[in-house]
Amino acid sequence: MKIAYINNESFPIHEGETILSFIKRHTSEKLVPTLCDAPNLDPFGSCRVCSVEVALQENGKTKTLASCHTPVAEGQYIYTSTDAIKALRKNIIELVLTDHPLDCLTCEVNGNCELQTVAAEVGIRKVRYPEGANHLNKKKDLSHPYMTSDFSKCINCYRCVRACDEVQGEFVLSMAGRGFDSHIIKGMNDSFMDSDCVSCGACSQACPTSAISDVFQSKAVHATKKTRTICTYCGVGCNLEVATHNGEILSIQAPYDAEVNQGHTCIKGRYAFKFYNHRDRLNSPMIKRNGAFEKVSWDEAYEYIASKLTHFKQEFGPNSIAGISSARCTNEENYLMQKFIRAVIGTNNIDGCARVCHSPTALGMQRTFGTGAATNSIEDLQYTNCILVIGANPTDAHPVTGAKLKQFAMKSDHVSIVIDPRKTELAKYATHHIPLRPGTNVAVLNMMMYYIIKEGLVDSAFIAQRTEGYEDFEKELLAIDLDQMEEVTGVDRNVIREAAIAYAKAPNAMSFHGLGVTEHSQGTFTVMQIADLALLTGNIGRRGVGVNPLRGQNNVQGSADMGVQPHQGAGYLDVTNEQINQRYNEFYGVEVPKAIGYKIPEMFQAALSGKLKALWVIGEDIVQTDPNTQKVIRALEATELVIVQELFMTETAKYADVILPGASFLEKSGTFTNGERRVQAVRQVVNPIEGAKPDGQIIVDIMNKMGYPQPDYTPEGMLAEISQIVPFFAGISWDRLGKNGLQWPVAPDGTDTQILHKTEFKRGKGYFEFNPWEETQELTSHAKEYPYILTTNRELEHYNCGAMTRRTANEQILSDDYLMINPEDAKEHLIEEGDFICIESPRGKVDVKARITDEVKKGILSTTFHFPEIMINNLTGDIHDSEAMCPEYKVVAVRIRKSKGAFKKTLV
Amino acid sequence: MSDNLSELLGRKGLQENFFQKLGTLASQEGTPTEEAMEELAQEFLVGKANAFGTASFYDFLKPENKGKKVYVCNGTACECANTQKEVIDTLRLTFEADEIGHMTCLGRCHENAAFHYQGTNYSGNAIQNIQSILSGNKASRQDQYRVKALGPAILTESFSTISTYYRPFLDALKKDSAAVLEEIKTSNLRGRGGAGFPIGTKLEFCRNSTNDTKFIICNADEGDPGAYSDRYLLEQRPHSVLFGMLISGYVTHARYGILYIRAEYPEAVEAVQKALTELREHQLIGSQIAGSDFSFDFKVIQAQGSYICGEETALINSIEGQRPEVRVRPPFPAQKGLFNKPTTVNNVETLAALHFIISKGGQAWKQIGTERSSGTKLLCLDSFFQYPGIYEVAMGTPLSTVINDLGGGFTKPVKALQIGGPLGGLVPVSKIDSLTVDFESFAQQGFLLGHGSIISVPESYPIMKFIEHLFDFAAYESCGKCFPCRLGTKRGHELSLKALESDYKIDRTLFEDLLTTLEKGSLCAHGGGIPLPIRNALHYFEEELAAYFN
Repeated sequence: MKIAYINNESFPIHEGETILSFIKRHTSEKLVPTLCDAPNLDPFGSCRVCSVEVALQENGKTKTLASCHTPVAEGQYIYTSTDAIKALRKNIIELVLTDHPLDCLTCEVNGNCELQTVAAEVGIRKVRYPEGANHLNKKKDLSHPYMTSDFSKCINCYRCVRACDEVQGEFVLSMAGRGFDSHIIKGMNDSFMDSDCVSCGACSQACPTSAISDVFQSKAVHATKKTRTICTYCGVGCNLEVATHNGEILSIQAPYDAEVNQGHTCIKGRYAFKFYNHRDRLNSPMIKRNGAFEKVSWDEAYEYIASKLTHFKQEFGPNSIAGISSARCTNEENYLMQKFIRAVIGTNNIDGCARVCHSPTALGMQRTFGTGAATNSIEDLQYTNCILVIGANPTDAHPVTGAKLKQFAMKSDHVSIVIDPRKTELAKYATHHIPLRPGTNVAVLNMMMYYIIKEGLVDSAFIAQRTEGYEDFEKELLAIDLDQMEEVTGVDRNVIREAAIAYAKAPNAMSFHGLGVTEHSQGTFTVMQIADLALLTGNIGRRGVGVNPLRGQNNVQGSADMGVQPHQGAGYLDVTNEQINQRYNEFYGVEVPKAIGYKIPEMFQAALSGKLKALWVIGEDIVQTDPNTQKVIRALEATELVIVQELFMTETAKYADVILPGASFLEKSGTFTNGERRVQAVRQVVNPIEGAKPDGQIIVDIMNKMGYPQPDYTPEGMLAEISQIVPFFAGISWDRLGKNGLQWPVAPDGTDTQILHKTEFKRGKGYFEFNPWEETQELTSHAKEYPYILTTNRELEHYNCGAMTRRTANEQILSDDYLMINPEDAKEHLIEEGDFICIESPRGKVDVKARITDEVKKGILSTTFHFPEIMINNLTGDIHDSEAMCPEYKVVAVRIRKSKGAFKKTLV
Repeated sequence: MSDNLSELLGRKGLQENFFQKLGTLASQEGTPTEEAMEELAQEFLVGKANAFGTASFYDFLKPENKGKKVYVCNGTACECANTQKEVIDTLRLTFEADEIGHMTCLGRCHENAAFHYQGTNYSGNAIQNIQSILSGNKASRQDQYRVKALGPAILTESFSTISTYYRPFLDALKKDSAAVLEEIKTSNLRGRGGAGFPIGTKLEFCRNSTNDTKFIICNADEGDPGAYSDRYLLEQRPHSVLFGMLISGYVTHARYGILYIRAEYPEAVEAVQKALTELREHQLIGSQIAGSDFSFDFKVIQAQGSYICGEETALINSIEGQRPEVRVRPPFPAQKGLFNKPTTVNNVETLAALHFIISKGGQAWKQIGTERSSGTKLLCLDSFFQYPGIYEVAMGTPLSTVINDLGGGFTKPVKALQIGGPLGGLVPVSKIDSLTVDFESFAQQGFLLGHGSIISVPESYPIMKFIEHLFDFAAYESCGKCFPCRLGTKRGHELSLKALESDYKIDRTLFEDLLTTLEKGSLCAHGGGIPLPIRNALHYFEEELAAYFN
């Protein structure tokens, strides 16, 4: 064991660690002060206050070294606090104070300022220098709805610049000028608002003073309580630390010890929380009478619902009732909702938003591997050599993972492949970008596999030992018509070939995919191909490989895990299986049905044909976000009882007969499961607003009302129940979750699992299945009259239907949907930046503002669906994935023209 | 220092260089337009803040440089010679005040009165012909100095022909590169840039780093006011430098050589470009040189005005197009240098010495000079000497021989010499006899041989003013990264200026604390080195300075 000495006491050293981390590890965090060092940034060596003296022998001749960037060496004698070192630190801080306002009492970080702390530690009592040049008159930047800066407080530690670079990878901040004149800039000396800042707040959290902060003053110390919980805004599952005072939320920061997000989060997680007590929050149950909502008591609402549901159940049978649960709710709530539908109503008509996003992922991966969840963890980015990102724009939709992928892609010894019709942020940095025509994923992936086989790059040993079906697969694959595939994808075959070779040659390759894979008529097949690609090259079952869907909503993984699917109950168990049915019957204490229930699109069909009488929708704005809006509206109108449990009066809620005000993620406890199967504790931060209730308790109340005994909602109690029925939750209990949660499957002893399919697949062998590319019906039927392809995307600032984010200051940063159009197409239609474009599909038409960009190719349009003013889903149709019924949002045949009439006027 | 920026800026290789493009964009108006910087940032995916951040660092790229038409040297030699006021006054007859910029040392220390106009340097009596110069006549640029070797002429040896000169290189290509490196190590040649680190060891580090891409950089950013020996080599003996780089490439398995030449030396850039053309004509560069497995090519990068770029990690950042701030070490450039690839940075004079070592053997070099300082050294004498110029002497030669015999003594009363640049010691004339020209002698006496420039401080020049000048230079050229240097050099300058211009007395303890903080706390030798001449001044000129302190 190698050792070194701290103040003449010996301690073991780690190879390669810095003197500073060596000292911190063995003594205290505070023995050596620092200013430019930060937990999530590389050593930088600018402040020099971490200097120590180092000798080669006890009390020998010393050299002064900055401990933050000097590696510790065997046998070193490190002196942390000699008189000379103390004087050096004090003298450096004195210099800093010659250019820093001494207004601590009125400063927002008073009491939580690292400069203040270090100044106190080194014992500064006076600044001896006469007044000289300084930066005390720098103006504050209050231009932005969240970010603020006051560079008179800047100490030039570069932590903000480094955070913007090393953590977020955005390069908005830099230093300008040199020497004493060097100063932080945003963009080209812009304000925060005018810069390209993505408002992730990494700089604000990194800043040791108040030079960069936010409007919530997140570094101020007046918070009395900090609660660690999980973000509601995407499947990454960032840990958040929420500061409160007297039951009011003040601000949010990201904890550095979070395994998921390591002190980072995004604009939504950090800043978009003010929706929680927005005046628009629903604050009472309501029943629609004579076309108007009337506020009623909870009892009245429950009574109304229970009697209606009982009536329908008796009159039309349990299958006349259906439920749509919410991927924004906790596992426990989702479990309760499916239990209610199955055990209390007696139908399998339960589905969730996974239907319209990742249902093909769950199905496809189950078919190939046996488990419909990410095989690996995001942490594996540290161990991989290649990333393949398909149909995902993670820098907008999964910003923290997106930032990590971008960091990966920037390094030249890594390979990154992006398959996406759009030149996404990640595609700009990628080694290979395959800008395929929307709807041709299957063609591209078949071409990739073709080339991998042709180049002899398959992992034959892996195929032989761990897979089945390869021979037929290979035969069919090698028969594909390359010329045709090249033509339909619109991508030079060599571009695809090179990417395929790069993926196959990488020692470890990981894939990530999003809704650009699933929301297609061949979504499930595409997922299976991605899985086949991993099988073909042996990229399964170890660190740095695998198939990793980027799950959309915060708990979409968990909602499916909990049984929010019409064909599988809690724990993905087949509802049609006799034995399993017995198990459920015993566990729930009632007979549960064995027939597969309605998927969401089938619910709408059933409603339109008069078979569906009641629909209970929790936290999902199906009118705005499901395809073919007018059809959804007609379905809701045709349903006698529509119960909507929501935070806000969404487009869907407007069509409700009963409204139940639920609670936001900040107002209840439970668990969310992120995209890497990590079950994390959501901890109540504040009480629900007056009049609202935790969603789980609402379901329990109605269960009780309808005669099913279910104890009150608590996460402990629910997890105790769930762990008995969901096999992979066996070892999960509320107390065991700790700070960073557990990745399922969790064994009864609490051991969790970072990597699936290490030695064998859940289904035994990995299954190869060839599926040929087929043109979507949307285009075969309509392409002639509707020659453009519209695809949909998301924007960083908004989340899904925007019900939450539009009620925060995010709305000031991005205030409407827009259409991306290629410059050539814009020119052809005489469309200029900001003009309204009328887009028309076989279903309807909408008018959207144009953003002219080469991010989309000629003939392709892309838009978002965050704003009800636009209602882009008036355009989308009924085509869906052949296997999982996930709607094809990504290929819509449209035609365009410059808008006329009313929309033209709004431009003036 | 950003790993990401190193990666992104390196993606287009050396041919498409961000920093060079910024320079081109600035050539029209003296600074790149915002639109041009934005486009460039987009092209390299680095964010416009980084384009602006880099441009704003350099004297000849920053927005303030816009509209500058002529630049006056403000280096120490011209300052001590007191020639520049007249130069400025003369130029003011033609130019507006804000059209006159400055350059810190044009390397015309031997005749002073230096200024730069439209890519050409002028000095000596040139200013008197300003009207002719303005009308496009470059003939009067002057630049006459002596070049002489005391013993064997190695660095100053006259150039033969390309084929004769590069014969030893072609011979070396037939040998095992390890054996060639061994020869260099045997010579114990130590870096001439100031730090004196053995080049053989440095090359070996780089050789041992495994990577397909490695770089040999020639640090031709001779920024020390008073030094013009590198300029001499680049302009008069460019092949000696190129030869050294080829050999360095061969022994480290590097494929690319970059000469980073300061903007203040336009003639050096031309001379090197011409020499490279000759090499290309003789097929001595390119792929598989002379049928060997060794391929090597060159790139010349012209700097844009910043002294700190002479520091090797700042220089690497500069070539990349990052802000030339000093990097922490480790990682050392040999492990992770230019574009994060293994890199060796060597000074011009060090590289120039390799021709002799490769031709005559390491032992031959080792036998010249002293035990620990082998070989010969170039020294630059300024205009206070009878015979200003470049002198090559064997290491260990008494300083007095250089001053009195070669330089012919002073033409005016001189009280001190600053040797080895602004971070070098201030040697009172009384100490001349006790010094020999080698690293050890200077270090033992509390001075620094540095790069071997010698600037005379005349009797008439107040030492307090000299301190103020040094701090001014140090603050102006500080990269600003580390706290002690960014703030300390500024406060040091303010203190000395205040004492010089008013009856303010500097607190001795405070001043001592400041110097110690700079010395021990600074990240690099810039802030760390400036206290040396100031301490020398305090020590040897205590009496003269007493009035400024309490």
